[in-house]
Amino acid sequence: MRLKEQFVKIVLYAVGLLIACIALFPLLWMAIAGFKGKTEVLATPFKFLPERWLFENYISILQDQMFIRSMLITFGGALLFAVLSLAINSSAAYVFARLEFRFKRVLWVYVILTMFVPGMAILLTSFIVVTKLGMLDTMAVLVLPGVASAGHMFFIRQFYLNIPMALEEAALIDGAGRFKIFSHIFLPMSYPVFVIVGIGSFLGYWNSFVWPTMTITNVNLFQIMQYLATFRSERATELGLLMAGSTLAAVPTVVLFLIFQKYIIRGIKISGLK
Amino acid sequence: MKQRRTKRRVLLWTMLLAVSMLASACGGGSGGNSATGSNGENGGNNKAQEEQSTGGNTAAGEKVKVEFWAQKFEDSTDAWFKKWTDEFNKTHDDIEVKLTIVPGDAWAQKLKAAQAAGKAPDVLTMNYSNLAPSAKQGQILALNEYMDQSLFDDLYDNVKGFVTVEGKYYAYPKLVEPSTVLYYRKDLFEAAGLDPNKPPVTWAEMIEYGKKLTKNGIYGVSTAQTAGDLGWSSWGLQFNSAGHLPITNDWSKADVVNDGYKELLNFYKTLYQEGIMPKQQLAAYADATPFGQGKTAMQVSGSWSIGLFRNDYKDMLDKIGVAPMPSIDGDQTKTTATLGGWTLVVDGKSKHPKEAAEYIGWLLGGDPNIMIEFFKTSQFSKFSPRKSVDEAMNQDPDAKNDEWRKLISEKIIPYSEAEPVYPWDISMFFATAIEKAMKGEGVDKALTAAEKEINNFIEKQQLAGTNPK
Amino acid sequence: MNMRNNIRYDNKIAYIMLLPILILLTVFVIIPFVYAVNVSFYDWSFYQDSVYVGLRNFSNVLTDPLFTKSILIGLRFAFMVVPAQLLLAFLFAHVIKGLGKRLSGFVKTSIYIPTIISGIIASIVFAFIYDYNAGLANYFLELIGMEKVAWLADVRTALGSIAVPVVWLGFGITALIMLAGLLDIPESYYEAAELEGAGVFARMIRITLPLMKNVILYLLVIGFTGAIQQFELPLVMTGGGPIDETLTPNLYIFNHFKNDVLVGHSIASALLLFLVLGTISAIIFKVLNSDKAVDG
Repeated sequence: MRLKEQFVKIVLYAVGLLIACIALFPLLWMAIAGFKGKTEVLATPFKFLPERWLFENYISILQDQMFIRSMLITFGGALLFAVLSLAINSSAAYVFARLEFRFKRVLWVYVILTMFVPGMAILLTSFIVVTKLGMLDTMAVLVLPGVASAGHMFFIRQFYLNIPMALEEAALIDGAGRFKIFSHIFLPMSYPVFVIVGIGSFLGYWNSFVWPTMTITNVNLFQIMQYLATFRSERATELGLLMAGSTLAAVPTVVLFLIFQKYIIRGIKISGLK
Repeated sequence: MKQRRTKRRVLLWTMLLAVSMLASACGGGSGGNSATGSNGENGGNNKAQEEQSTGGNTAAGEKVKVEFWAQKFEDSTDAWFKKWTDEFNKTHDDIEVKLTIVPGDAWAQKLKAAQAAGKAPDVLTMNYSNLAPSAKQGQILALNEYMDQSLFDDLYDNVKGFVTVEGKYYAYPKLVEPSTVLYYRKDLFEAAGLDPNKPPVTWAEMIEYGKKLTKNGIYGVSTAQTAGDLGWSSWGLQFNSAGHLPITNDWSKADVVNDGYKELLNFYKTLYQEGIMPKQQLAAYADATPFGQGKTAMQVSGSWSIGLFRNDYKDMLDKIGVAPMPSIDGDQTKTTATLGGWTLVVDGKSKHPKEAAEYIGWLLGGDPNIMIEFFKTSQFSKFSPRKSVDEAMNQDPDAKNDEWRKLISEKIIPYSEAEPVYPWDISMFFATAIEKAMKGEGVDKALTAAEKEINNFIEKQQLAGTNPK
Repeated sequence: MNMRNNIRYDNKIAYIMLLPILILLTVFVIIPFVYAVNVSFYDWSFYQDSVYVGLRNFSNVLTDPLFTKSILIGLRFAFMVVPAQLLLAFLFAHVIKGLGKRLSGFVKTSIYIPTIISGIIASIVFAFIYDYNAGLANYFLELIGMEKVAWLADVRTALGSIAVPVVWLGFGITALIMLAGLLDIPESYYEAAELEGAGVFARMIRITLPLMKNVILYLLVIGFTGAIQQFELPLVMTGGGPIDETLTPNLYIFNHFKNDVLVGHSIASALLLFLVLGTISAIIFKVLNSDKAVDG
């Protein structure tokens, strides 16, 4: 029995490491390609490491004030976006998961339908709306239009449905209001979910390219993916620079994930409550 | 229960209706901003002129702001735009041009959204094939009244035609570049027992040479092989094989099933099926990197690839030969290429058309040295639409002695045709026929299918008789 | 404050808490959507009078065999991606759960890495892996003595080749969501079942799956609608080819948006795609049913 358990454990470890390698390979390749000259990135035969390690790509990007600036601005915008997204979507999720109210079903369908609207259908018309609202070339046009998300709301709600009723029934009997139950019982239990949704929102903002390019013309508000696109063109893609830039642009998100991943592990203890 | 459901449904629809009324209120009713655009081109012009003239008088210290969006090109081109726009602003007290470089991946979205919201820039880059449809929609202004006729007189006659729609000039051209040039490796020709000074002139020869050159992991030929690339890169060969494009001149019906096109499809099919070209493209047609890296012996690509070779593959230059693309029957005076290229245009709703046109005229039509600098930084991989620039450039020893430039301007450009202006779908139908043949479908079947698709499209889009040229 | 039958209505607080999401969605999604529906009945010109054309945009789209084909391709693509993604994620979540703490942290972090990479970068990396001459995929095939494959140019392999990076991009986050769901299931359930003699498989079917229904429902809806709408990867890797084999609906719409002089065709096709996505999601809701899931 012990031997078998040992064996299972070894297999699990091996599989786990294999998955990790497959997952990490492209990122590593991207980071290393940043050290290559522009003709070497896609050179054949395939070589993982560069012939000569060139630091120019990374150095020139790090010395570029525009790059640093757009990283900072995008980072701030993404944080704001993630926080607002959590606040707005989780309160709606709680309402749909727990409260009874008139027109609940109608409002539910109204919100969920927005999940299926293809971006291309409203690309031009939503641009007209933000133009009429005078939002072009402001941070608001980057943050507000995408922050309410039926998908995120739906996701958080699915988790709230699993929280046992017993916890709040006691509070209700004590006379606590619905909002207090949300803020004192649901929010503290939400962070495993919040970490996933929060990072998802952050990434969604961080990686968006078309919308910022459409709505931001002022270089001082350039977003990071908009900036990286300046290394790409139809006929001459600066692959080395693009890879170095993309690697650097991935750093904040990796760091963020490293910080927050322990909260997902801590989520285990929470579920011990049940 | 059922009743409650219906009630809810009614409520949902009421809400949607309310919202829709809100939406149309903010959209001005009949589908968009017709209110702002309704006065058409001419009305728009007059209004704009009025505003301009009053603006011009009061503007002692105030500069007229002209927005200019340029699509992202090579870095050297971006730098050239920046440098000379700065220079323009320095030398013009009354006009300030604001240049924005827009990434190609988002150009269509950014521009169309801006046009829909009435926020399009005054000046923008546009390629030849988009000029006629945009002019017909009133999206761009005729430049005759804003630019001096002498500027247009300087253009070569064929290029004049490219920028003319219904007798008026709608753009000023920056450059032309032939879409189809043959690059080949002289050293590999020699190694395969071929004469390095005699590149193939017929398709049959190209196939024959290609077979001999395909060895040691090197492919004999590389050319377009996806429908998206074939769509435009094969226009020249469509002219070459049949003398016309796959649609009649009045756009009333398809003109597809003929021996020329059959041979064209067979040409691509043989190259592909015999393994002379790789089974999967090594790079897009516009990107001749595989040839620079020595993976192919003959590369079909546009003239712009010269810039790539000269910048990135300097040690290859001695081994590279340049020649016109082989022709169906070896006649090198038959068209093998179309002339693509870029122009600057003025937006149909621009509030400052005069200033916008002044900038365009200054940059593209003024001092020849500005353009000569551009052609130099492009390594003479692009060609001038202006006689005076070529004349001045011929005084320059670098330009004068450039063999490749000479060959392309003497042996390819004179026989090249303009890009078609019909909807892209038609090019795709034909390109898909080529791709189907390459992937094993019968040539006749593929062409018949394309004929049917083109005719359907013409009928649905009511295309007959709408050719603006 | 009527608490009889466990139903109590909290209209006021519910509306207050819903207000932000309702306003934002109305302004930035519903109004543009209704506006788009409105303009889809016109030849919407930005510079001249728009001409009312009734349903012509829609009939043009519906009679275009390429549009129908693109919807089918989207469906086929979703049927490749979603089951693979869910199955892999389900297995990985179990693997991670079985790992020691330190290693599980490392594995969790690394499988999340693909998620942070933008689709464009991923498609450049994978286009390189599928490179005919020098790509890793063909390198391995040749190592084991097999013929090279034109992954992205062969009608038989192209769609599947694009499905791989999509699974790769998404399985990390899917696995983490599954893991969060798994960890929510009290260990005592499994212990009880084990005492009753239920095997690993039986425990999975009888305990894990039913308790994860909420999570799986979410992943199915998001997975299907996301996969059908995939567009960046085929755009960069194949451009929709070979012979339109990887022309997903959004790529079809984007091509028309980019190349057409008027945008009516692309808007009409995007609206029709909305109907398809809504229908599929409704079916998923229905099949997995549960009043709980729909009514809350």
